[in-house]
Amino acid sequence: MAKPEVSEAWRQHSTISRDEILARLKDRALVIVNVMPRETYEESHIPGSINLPVGEIEAKARQLISNSLQEIAIYCAGPA
Amino acid sequence: MGYINVRHYIGGMADWGAGGAQVERSSTSTEMFQARPSVGRNVARHLSWLEILANWPLERLICFWLGMIMAFGVVYWLAGISMGWGLQAGNTEVKPDLSGLATAIYFSFVTALSIGYGDVIPLGALRILAVIEGIAGLLIFGCVISKLVSRRQEELMEEIQRTTFDDRLDRVRTNLHLVFSDLGAVQQLQAERGVLPEQVLRRLESTVRVFRGELQTIHDLLYRSSVEPDEETLESLLANLVICLQSLAEKNGSRPSGDGQSAALDAALRSISNLAKEICGECVPRVYAPSLKESMDQIQELARRIA
Repeated sequence: MAKPEVSEAWRQHSTISRDEILARLKDRALVIVNVMPRETYEESHIPGSINLPVGEIEAKARQLISNSLQEIAIYCAGPA
Repeated sequence: MGYINVRHYIGGMADWGAGGAQVERSSTSTEMFQARPSVGRNVARHLSWLEILANWPLERLICFWLGMIMAFGVVYWLAGISMGWGLQAGNTEVKPDLSGLATAIYFSFVTALSIGYGDVIPLGALRILAVIEGIAGLLIFGCVISKLVSRRQEELMEEIQRTTFDDRLDRVRTNLHLVFSDLGAVQQLQAERGVLPEQVLRRLESTVRVFRGELQTIHDLLYRSSVEPDEETLESLLANLVICLQSLAEKNGSRPSGDGQSAALDAALRSISNLAKEICGECVPRVYAPSLKESMDQIQELARRIA
């Protein structure tokens, strides 16, 4: 089944590339969020990213990032 | 959650590591997270101290402000005892006793609020301290005031957004119902004798146009809205949409090809079909409950029949 066009556009719009993250590691305007469990996060993560395990998003997201307009990049383990 | 500026790094850690970029091991960020799970702290690298202060909740800010004033008061008092240059009220030095402490705290408040009566004055190096307190007091007090104002404003904004949103959904629901009954009426009109095909066509055209508008709204809601409707509302909306589409699909199937084709009608139908095709459980950005997904898939299926 062919995916509708708008959906594809939406996908492109809402992803962030590796290069952009790399370039913006020190950018204060971008918050990088790691959604893996705490232990996995402790093992390795993108420098400067914060940990917000998926299960805790509901409870803690507002505390961590109070601004709804905040630019956020989320990532997890990636395709294994 | 209402965040509208979220992007996904699909590659994740696998991609990151494969590219040879630096990774961080169990770091202070985690400890900070556990020790102080409060606003802003963990995103410290993104914020200056003033922003951190501004991000504090109102209660804490006020407590901090009062605490600071008290602390300064005690310092003035202690400086008077131990170093000999303290505060002066009128022409007499403030005494190092309890009433002296009260005077010192009073002076501290007058300074922090930048009132500056001048009935108690600091001597020597205390003047520097008083100026520092004045600046800090102003800044923090400003944060408190802005917090008070913006809190009310945020409440209002939320309220407005919610009401307009609810209103819009209500309208969409009503209009969908209208479309449905209108489609039925058109069918009846067609069955009656003595009604001109053009009349039927015109009626159908207007109904289809209204339907197109409402469908656009639902489409936007699923794809773009920063406010999320609750599932019940969405379910009723989608159910309404399904029956309208069903009715329209039947109507379309039974339409004799001869009875006065209309370009406008065809265009509207095509546009409806295109919009509806983009509504399916898999292709909308958010993940919904299975029952909702099912309705969405049904909508997509019906869209194919209309085109």
